[in-house]
Amino acid sequence: MRFTFRGKRISGNLVVVPENERSFVDEMKNFNFPEARSLKLKEVMGYDKRRIVKSGVCVSDLAVFGLRHLFEAGLIRPDEVDALLLVTQTPDHFMPATSSIIQGRLGLKQDMLCLDINQACAGYVIGLMQAFMLLEQESVRKVVLINADVLSRKASARDRNIYPLIGDAAAIAIVERDVEDSIIHASLKADGSRAQALTIPAGGLRLPSTPETAVLEDVGDNNLRAKDHLFMDGSTIFNFVQTEVPQLIEGLLAWAEISIGTVNYFLCHQPNRFMVQKLADKMKIPYAKMPSNVVEHFGNNGSATIPTVMAFNLRERLLHERLLVCLSGYGGGLVWAAMLLKLGKLSFNNIIEYK
Amino acid sequence: MDKPEFYQKLAEILDVEEVKPEDALKSFDVWDSLAILSVLAMADAKYGVSIKAEEIRSVVSAEDLASLVEAKQK
Repeated sequence: MRFTFRGKRISGNLVVVPENERSFVDEMKNFNFPEARSLKLKEVMGYDKRRIVKSGVCVSDLAVFGLRHLFEAGLIRPDEVDALLLVTQTPDHFMPATSSIIQGRLGLKQDMLCLDINQACAGYVIGLMQAFMLLEQESVRKVVLINADVLSRKASARDRNIYPLIGDAAAIAIVERDVEDSIIHASLKADGSRAQALTIPAGGLRLPSTPETAVLEDVGDNNLRAKDHLFMDGSTIFNFVQTEVPQLIEGLLAWAEISIGTVNYFLCHQPNRFMVQKLADKMKIPYAKMPSNVVEHFGNNGSATIPTVMAFNLRERLLHERLLVCLSGYGGGLVWAAMLLKLGKLSFNNIIEYK
Repeated sequence: MDKPEFYQKLAEILDVEEVKPEDALKSFDVWDSLAILSVLAMADAKYGVSIKAEEIRSVVSAEDLASLVEAKQK
């Protein structure tokens, strides 16, 4: 499904990561595997350092911390926030919406829209699309888009398939109208028939959490996981990404009549270094144009990985230049999305620590 | 499919000098989830086929694995 937008831009990017850093080497003793194989996994996947919240920290805590930082630094005024979009799969509560909790904690004006969007790793592109659509309204001048998750709280510490790669973060983008009337192309696909490939089986109303759903089960390969925990069917996800994403991006570029060589950067979701590099290999994109180093420094922080790539790898360039970039997110749903836009001359592009 | 080349690639994944067609995959020390992921990445990149982890787990010998990849190519 294709979309176009005109005259919209990201004007600022802030990523909030927890101060609490974990190291794969320290944690690998939790897994029942030979040390040499764990080190091989580290080398191939790029597992090293990652940031996760301490117990009890919720999405609204990270988001409120980041927005307070922006208000105090004078980078946006509270009364300028006309819409607050929160993309998360780990809300504070079933109800109310966490975006409403954030609005209330910050004392934002009543004359605004608060909306939670339940999307996973494609959530940055989808959140931007929603922000662009809202900006068609005269009353909406600035949209705050927050991509935040604390998935480490739903990962089993005894599951080597998932635990060493998960990071937590909140990314905050300011989205507004652009005086340059450049065109933005986006493309999106969804396949709910494969929804079970990335799931937290228990804790919703279909299978409420009980003492039984908290019991760790041997799920093979010496990994232990409960139904309350995040499950990822790694091989299905790998094949999904390698099959669908190159087609989506190549189709988007062909439609926009842009060649791979013209695009300055491909800023893709970061499941792990291995998958990003395999994607680059498949599309014959040089690694220098497609950064893959977020997991080794921060972990896979869900829909915040693209903003993390922007702030960690392109901090200065995106403050001073406008670059043609292709964003692509893919994951839970399953959903895969890509967007081609001019990005840069941001008023801020930082990573800060939540304390 | 160039079978000797396939066995050579498999040997690299399994950290051994050589893999023979009749070798049982489970007989290798490092036949684990990481090795399986490496095999499906190799099948995708080199042979352009998608294989599921369960399919890889269900075959016994290196030759069976080569046949699985070859069958998918058609």
